[in-house]
Amino acid sequence: MKKWLTRTLAGLVIMVVAGGGVFAEPRGTLRVALTSDPNSLDLCYGADRNASNAGWRLFNSLVVVNDDGLIEPALAEKWEVSEDGKVYTMYLRKGVKFHNGEDFTADSVVFSWNRGRGNDVTWRKKWDIVKAIDKIDEYTVRLHLEAPYPLLLRQVSYFWNIVPEGYLKEVGEDGFTKHPVGTGPFRFVEWKKGDRLVYEANPDYWEPGKPRVARVIFRPIPESATRMAAIKTGEMDIVSRLTAEEAAMLKNTPDVKVIEYPVDRVFYITFNNLTSGKGLPTENALVRQAMNWAVDMEAIIGALFNGHGRPVSGFFVPSNLGYDETVKPFGYDPKKARELLKQAGYADGFDIELAAPTGAYSQFEQVCEAIQGYLSEVGIRVKLTLMESGKYWDLEAKKELPPLFGDSWSCREGEPLERLEGTLGGWKQSYSSWFDPKIDEMLTKVAAMPDENQRAAIYRQLQAYMKDNPPFIYLYQPMTFEAVSTRVKNYRPRAAEDYYLKDVSIDQ
Amino acid sequence: MQRYILSRLIQSVFILFGVLLIVFFMLQLTGDPVSLMISRHATPEDVEALREELGFNRPVAVQFGSFIAGAVTGDFGKSLRHKQPAMDLILSRLPATIELAATALLLSLVLGIPLGLVAGSNPGSFWDLLSRGTGLLGQTIPNFWLALILVLVFSVHLGWFPTFGRDTWTVLGLTLPTRSVLLPAFSLSLFTMGQLVRFTRSAVMEIRSEDYVRTAYSKGIAHRKVYIRHILRNAAIPLISIVGVQFGYLLSGSIYIETIFSWPGLGNLLAESIGNRDFALVQAIAFFSSFVVVFLNLLTDIAYALADPRIRY
Repeated sequence: MKKWLTRTLAGLVIMVVAGGGVFAEPRGTLRVALTSDPNSLDLCYGADRNASNAGWRLFNSLVVVNDDGLIEPALAEKWEVSEDGKVYTMYLRKGVKFHNGEDFTADSVVFSWNRGRGNDVTWRKKWDIVKAIDKIDEYTVRLHLEAPYPLLLRQVSYFWNIVPEGYLKEVGEDGFTKHPVGTGPFRFVEWKKGDRLVYEANPDYWEPGKPRVARVIFRPIPESATRMAAIKTGEMDIVSRLTAEEAAMLKNTPDVKVIEYPVDRVFYITFNNLTSGKGLPTENALVRQAMNWAVDMEAIIGALFNGHGRPVSGFFVPSNLGYDETVKPFGYDPKKARELLKQAGYADGFDIELAAPTGAYSQFEQVCEAIQGYLSEVGIRVKLTLMESGKYWDLEAKKELPPLFGDSWSCREGEPLERLEGTLGGWKQSYSSWFDPKIDEMLTKVAAMPDENQRAAIYRQLQAYMKDNPPFIYLYQPMTFEAVSTRVKNYRPRAAEDYYLKDVSIDQ
Repeated sequence: MQRYILSRLIQSVFILFGVLLIVFFMLQLTGDPVSLMISRHATPEDVEALREELGFNRPVAVQFGSFIAGAVTGDFGKSLRHKQPAMDLILSRLPATIELAATALLLSLVLGIPLGLVAGSNPGSFWDLLSRGTGLLGQTIPNFWLALILVLVFSVHLGWFPTFGRDTWTVLGLTLPTRSVLLPAFSLSLFTMGQLVRFTRSAVMEIRSEDYVRTAYSKGIAHRKVYIRHILRNAAIPLISIVGVQFGYLLSGSIYIETIFSWPGLGNLLAESIGNRDFALVQAIAFFSSFVVVFLNLLTDIAYALADPRIRY
């Protein structure tokens, strides 16, 4: 009996040890199409989503945002935030090694932070949120802020790639650019610019059982018709940013799955009460409401995007923190629009100018032309100017655009604080043309509020306020289309068009 | 001859200076690039700081001076997007473009000239009809459209070629092209091919009725000899200039063809840099391409003078 028990126990122990230690070896090659060649794999310099999607596979940050939008430990195992929200104590993971064998310690964090605040670092502002870092011991650091900033950990997760101090000192910045080294699930193999970028699984990755593919090959394919052809022939496993027509054409292709999801980006036409819009009828909230009621957004989406898009309300999308579904988009009611204009004292309408950028966004010129048409139906005579987008953004930053202008703003933090501050910050922000003291007060409050529930509550108030006092003609949230080979498992792109590849596996 | 070469050289320098002038002021016309480069969530102070850092707030004359000084030494500054010297990026993309351009030129020569020769010698025949058709189509079909059709037929349906990209094959340290170059090169070659067919055909037809050909025949020289020694040699002269000029254009990279096939060459880089308003890079590529064209034109003129002893300077 005793012997039997010992044997069973021993067997169990062996099974547990074996089961825990032996994860399936990473296998297969995953081929991912990018829509442009990354400008850099270093997150300090990454210019767009293609660069950050490729770059982040090599690195880790202190924390990571999971698929549910919640912050999870990464290189920091846990953390504490001080009462006043200005000091973050991060307890770091032990035993993590960079791809070159160097140990990850508190010094790596301090070094990365100093480097990130360098003068030519594109995203130095994101590192500069933290004003000082204390190394407490080998595996503890303390981040000091000037003022509480609830989005800190999200920004850290998107911009702070932790780099190896010894390696950088040895090879220099140029050497690091040529062969980046991090702690991420994949390590760098080769990069032929404009052609292919090759990674292999990091065998010493700290998350057990990950990654699950042995090799990843990114290839830039700028032309969407070519991306479609490449998934059809099986040359690629994942292609993104297809047009609605291309996605429809792929629907019946064997071994290919088409996915469609809304992107966290909103299109808008903004009003101006700082420069060119001063003293115009649009300073009256009733007029601005009327202009929202006058536009049939559903019809525009139907005609120009085959229905792939959703009208937005209040600058929030459903995946945002504090999104209030009871605040409905305006909808189309020209009668009500005329009524409101009459109430505001503009029964005969008025003349106004609208500007839109060309070549920057899919069909946005046509959207603005449609809006011009809808506004004319309620008596608002709009003069539309289309402008080359370079010139356009230049004027936008100088606040020299006409009193109405169209643009869009994306967001990856899961809450639209930057989008709101950027467009509604008044003179404080380059690209804003509107200032409303009430909105500003709420934004200031939310920016200093560490508690997510309370932040969500303020966001809800804001949405209600921004419906009655619209600073924009609210337009739409676009859809994006991707096609994925059915061999690929666990690929989950998110509203910011980013993804992790460490969970992805591939059937042979 | 030396005087001729010298005068052509001086002309070329003036042309290149003109190109630099245009390339520089092209940037001034599109407004201040700073607002395009900076994050949307930037304060006016950030914009000012970056403007200062990149030197865009200096007087235009000063900016132009430093631009010319750099350009002369091949230094166009760093790409704003890649944070690397623009010239390095161009040189890294050059092999792919040379491979594509050379293959395209070779295809158009191999297919275009024989067709033109046969057609010119047998006017009104089936070959003549074919050659005139090829000439017309080659020069009128938009090559980006043809490229998409070729991908659909030969890659997606038949699976003979990869749909995109450049695969190479390395033997003894040499990078050799593979079949991945054929579709883009064919699409790119069609225009040049059309031109070659037409010019060869008309050159042959014209020369056939020249006095010296008639004289050669009347002296009793065999047709083969007349054809090779008199007709071919004389027909080759106008082709030199076509080949020279066309190769210049092919080498500056085709935006459409390289983009459609994700070919990692100069045209692809140019398209990307225009899209991202990477001004240093756009300027560098524009100048580099002009340089190649001017240089090849110069070589063509010299070759022309050497090949045709009737030309006197």
